[in-house]
Amino acid sequence: MSTNAAKNLFIYGSLLCFVVLVILTIDTMGKLDKRAPEITEEVNAGKKVWHKYDCIGCHTIFGNGSYFAPDMTKATERKPKEYLKKFLLDPRVIKADSAMPKLGLNEQEADDLIAFLDWTSKVDTNDWPPKPILASAIAGKAASAGQALFQKHDCSACHQIQGIGGAAGPDLTQVGARRPDIDWHIRHLKDPSSVVRDSAMPAFTDMNDEELKALAEFLITLK
Amino acid sequence: MKYQSHQIALNFYTTSVLLFLVQVLVGIIAALQFIWPDFFILNFNTIRTLHINSLVVWLLMGMMGATYYVVTEESETELWSVPLGHLQFWATVIAVGAVVVGYIVMGLNPQANTEVFGTRLLNEGREYIEAPRWADILIVISVLLFLLNSFMTVMKTRKFTAVQGVLLGGLTFLALMYLPGMFYTKSMVKDQFWWWWVVHLWVEGSWELIAAALLAFMLHKLLGTDVKVLAKWMYIEVGLVLFTGILGLGHHYYWIGTPEYWLWVGGIFSSLEPIPLLLMVWDAFRTTRETRVPVQNRIGLYLTVAHAIFNFVGAGLWGVIHTLPQVNKWTHGTQITTAHGHLAFYGAYVLLIVAMIYVTVPSIRGDKEFNQSRGFQSFWWMTISMVFIVITITGAGMVQTYMERLLGLDYVTVKATYNLWFWIFRAIFGAGFLVGVLMLAADIFSIGKRPAS
Ligand code: HEC
Ligand code: HEC
Ligand code: HEM
Ligand code: HEM
Ligand SMILES: [Fe+2]
Repeated sequence: MSTNAAKNLFIYGSLLCFVVLVILTIDTMGKLDKRAPEITEEVNAGKKVWHKYDCIGCHTIFGNGSYFAPDMTKATERKPKEYLKKFLLDPRVIKADSAMPKLGLNEQEADDLIAFLDWTSKVDTNDWPPKPILASAIAGKAASAGQALFQKHDCSACHQIQGIGGAAGPDLTQVGARRPDIDWHIRHLKDPSSVVRDSAMPAFTDMNDEELKALAEFLITLK
Repeated sequence: MKYQSHQIALNFYTTSVLLFLVQVLVGIIAALQFIWPDFFILNFNTIRTLHINSLVVWLLMGMMGATYYVVTEESETELWSVPLGHLQFWATVIAVGAVVVGYIVMGLNPQANTEVFGTRLLNEGREYIEAPRWADILIVISVLLFLLNSFMTVMKTRKFTAVQGVLLGGLTFLALMYLPGMFYTKSMVKDQFWWWWVVHLWVEGSWELIAAALLAFMLHKLLGTDVKVLAKWMYIEVGLVLFTGILGLGHHYYWIGTPEYWLWVGGIFSSLEPIPLLLMVWDAFRTTRETRVPVQNRIGLYLTVAHAIFNFVGAGLWGVIHTLPQVNKWTHGTQITTAHGHLAFYGAYVLLIVAMIYVTVPSIRGDKEFNQSRGFQSFWWMTISMVFIVITITGAGMVQTYMERLLGLDYVTVKATYNLWFWIFRAIFGAGFLVGVLMLAADIFSIGKRPAS
């Protein structure tokens, strides 16, 4: 190949590729709105708060950003909004050793942010993040009614037992030794703030007395 | 000094190296914050912003210095306007200083980051392009002045060499690809879509053109290789870079809410991206082997070849391992990405600018027989440390991918317990890297200056 041929191939080849990119971009722009919920004023306000506090400087969203803190794409999926709001306003009140500092958001900003994060959680991301394949393989069957309720209500979104589960609330591996009182647990589950001041744990009001008792019995076996 | 214009190149290089030092110092702080989050008065996000922005800015300034050198030497004339060159240098320094002050103020008090004319005053809150809109505009003006000066210089003597063509073409492409990052969209999906145009089409498009041009320039200058042959291979390389790289953009459109066909487009084209990078390695070895004359500037040649090799390893290999959607699904946004980001930037662009410095500064200062030993030491301190940082962080990424993505353990648990040792090792190797940068900083003030005797 002569130098000139190589040069022409470079120039026209690149231009052609760029044209293809532009065409794909136009096509994509036309399809994006169908893959995501409508963007309300609140969602847009939340996005602006996201930029204002440079959340991307610690977190990823859609997997892009910084790797110092968890991905936010599905943040509202496993955790109730009241909890997230309290956390955003002052993370260390909820979790003393949290690595996220208090950034100074006000209530309105926190609400908007949660609306924004709720929006991202409903975007069609081609199934990302993927479900952990090994988790379902090693999760044993529930040994008791209480343990089944623990799984059903997704307590492990916030709590760990033997290393498995989230870190938003205390580790429950030995909670039975710390808190052996069944009644305490029942009251705590029904209304956490009635026994722990300013608790950020959501109240589980949709369980009946029998279920509450079964769950509490399971908890005190953890020691 | 043969041309007055070379003083401008030297100013750009010196500022580059000093910013490199800042980048690495804050990088070490960032690494320590993984162990102690409250280690410093500024939070992690501000430190990280400083780390990656100083990186991008010093590389750009290094490219500008290199370009001013190359166009004067290839066109065999002074710059079109030397005063404009000085002005553009100082304007850049002042704008960068103002942006940095803004980041620090914002870090200390986020409320200062108010909204003006629909954009943020101090920090845009978008990775890499955190600089606020007013700074974007200043940057664009500075780059336009720079391009004008360079193009007019070429027009002065009309020596349209291949190196100048690809270099200035790459720089123009670079300037154009800054624009997609300069408008606001309400949709986070569209936000990230355009954001990747800037980030990806820079490092895997326009910057690689600049790298290929500077590679050809250095090989010619060091070895006296025939420009015809160099030019032909350069065109083939940059042609393949853009053929694979432009549509390779799709490897960032797998999971951000974009249609599924990007999995095919991105997977296929980006998998081919290592090929042109491998060609560059072969190019560097072939020209070196074919040269019979002894090379005086050994460190310059060493760095040039090392740049080609590490460009291939860091960008090509460490990129291709996680570029297929089947793999990227699990590794996306983990420490694997950080490992690749570090080795790619180091190999492709840090070593490129450092090589340009060692190839051109001695001739700017007029001493062909400068003391090269510190250059070699600096290279080894940096390279060995970087390789270990990357091995460490690749390990962290593998543990993270396995435990968090496959086993379903919590992000915070993995980071705080299972990955703790990796963070400690990264900080230690970071200190080693700093030693190398300090040596480089000492050298930029001394290489090419004859001993006072
Ligand atoms: C200085 C770094 C930093 C910044 C800035 C930051 N975060 Fe965080 N964030 C963290 C870390 C680290 C965690 C992990 C939780 C922990 O350590 O307790 C976290 C946790 C969270 C959580 C809880 C996730 C969960 O599942 O429990 C939410 C929600 C959150 N951040 C949202 C935000 C938002 C919104 C912003 C911007 C307003 C933001 N963060 C800014 C570091 C940061
Ligand atoms: C959104 C997060 C969240 C969810 C979901 C959650 N918790 Fe909690 N939990 C917390 C927080 C925060 C605390 C600490 C404050 C408190 O003690 O109330 C806590 C505390 C506890 C404690 C007391 C631990 C101790 O050592 O004092 C128990 C027991 C408990 N949770 C059980 C449960 C059970 C059972 C479920 C599921 C039905 C559950 N939690 C769901 C956040 C959560
Ligand atoms: C030429 C120089 C290159 C540089 C400087 C570079 C740099 C980077 C950086 C910094 C990121 C992280 C971006 C972020 O912060 O979110 C990244 C991501 C990525 N790069 Fe590169 N890269 C280069 C080339 C390549 C090549 C050639 C490939 C593939 C063959 C590649 C594949 C990827 C992929 C797949 C990601 C996304 C990772 C994820 O999903 O989290 N890169 N690159
Ligand atoms: C002393 C050596 C260095 C240390 C300790 C260090 C540390 C860090 C840390 C802790 C982060 C944040 C990563 C995260 O969010 O998880 C980071 C990001 C980054 N650093 Fe460095 N760094 C160093 C040198 C460098 C060098 C020399 C380069 C360029 C070659 C570089 C380029 C980057 C880039 C591009 C990012 C952002 C992209 C990413 O995280 O993938 N760093 N660095
Ligand atoms: Fe890319």
